[in-house]
Amino acid sequence: MKRLLLVNTLPEGNPAAQTVIKELQMQEADAEIEIVQAYKRNFHPCIGCNACWLKTPGRCAIPDGYEDLLRAYLAADAVLFLCGTALNFVDHRMKNLIDRLLPLVTMNIHFVEGECRHIPRYDKCYRFGLLYGGQADRAYLNHWMERVMLNFAGKSIGAYPITEVQEVISCIW
Amino acid sequence: MHLVTISGAVRPQPKSNTTKIVEAFLHGFEEGGNSAEVFYISDRRQWQSAAEAFYGNKQILIALPLYVENIPGILLEFLSGLTPKTEDGTKLAFLVQGGFPEACQSRCCKAYLETLPGQLGCEYAGTLIKGDMFGLGMVNDKTREKMLAPFTEMGRHFASTGCFEKSVVNDFAAPEYMPEKQIRFYNRFMHHISRFFMGRIAKKLGCTEKLDAQPLVESSRRNEVKDT
Repeated sequence: MKRLLLVNTLPEGNPAAQTVIKELQMQEADAEIEIVQAYKRNFHPCIGCNACWLKTPGRCAIPDGYEDLLRAYLAADAVLFLCGTALNFVDHRMKNLIDRLLPLVTMNIHFVEGECRHIPRYDKCYRFGLLYGGQADRAYLNHWMERVMLNFAGKSIGAYPITEVQEVISCIW
Repeated sequence: MHLVTISGAVRPQPKSNTTKIVEAFLHGFEEGGNSAEVFYISDRRQWQSAAEAFYGNKQILIALPLYVENIPGILLEFLSGLTPKTEDGTKLAFLVQGGFPEACQSRCCKAYLETLPGQLGCEYAGTLIKGDMFGLGMVNDKTREKMLAPFTEMGRHFASTGCFEKSVVNDFAAPEYMPEKQIRFYNRFMHHISRFFMGRIAKKLGCTEKLDAQPLVESSRRNEVKDT
């Protein structure tokens, strides 16, 4: 059974988020869907301490439970983030989640298609997608997601306005 | 000219590479009698004063580390809390420093920064990019001085122009990509040296595991077993 992880950084009662969750549960009935309500968990920003690279490799030094999410990313076949926007980009809650992905790569670097990349810590091709509510530059978000996934040796499912859940469903797998 | 500088570094001030770069930059900027004040976003107690300085001044510089292809989440949180200016004339410039050596790594972030001043009611005044800054806090004083000297020069440039001119910043940011020859050299020799060097730093920090350890692999393996 395919495993889909849904990380909701919007408030749990947000009507658009609820619609997306219901829609996914209905249309992806064959998949095992895990939902993480990240809004109330309020994960901290990365503090750039480098502990996850140099002191406790692969483990984040911030004891706020984010490690559960890292495990969930590893276990999932695809991950969808539901997020808000700010300043024409994703909001800080979403950006914090992405900034905290660093334990998934090592300190060591190699070159991939002529650019430096951190060597992945795990043998895993992540598939991450974004569903955003609010105003943002979709073309830029798509570009940003592509670049983010390059850094983690994964693939972007793309960035979609939250109202276009049908579109993302057709691209998940 | 008075320059309000907002450091978007995530690390506390003494450990921040961005702070060191800002200090070097402002050293050059202040030479001709200019003045500057710096606010550190890593210290939330400074957010209120930083916001007031943003509202009350016309020349703003935001310095930041490149963080997964864009600005750090904590800086985004601070900026999201600002009310866009309604009066014309505020210039907003950026200084982006990254760990990887190539400027191409910062282009995605720069594309966003070009649009950000418009969101805040400001005019875009250019982005200064520099890579290969990861080791700034680990090298000896002499090497650090050498790495920081170009930022002092750029501070002088900014003092005379009030912006980062495209031709100047493109030269400063080079190389855009690593030359093939250097990539081959790295692949053959340097990555061993780099690993050795990082291993030593890790040991000094008290690390007892391999840097490529997989502490979470057990959980994913368990899940795979469950699946079959």
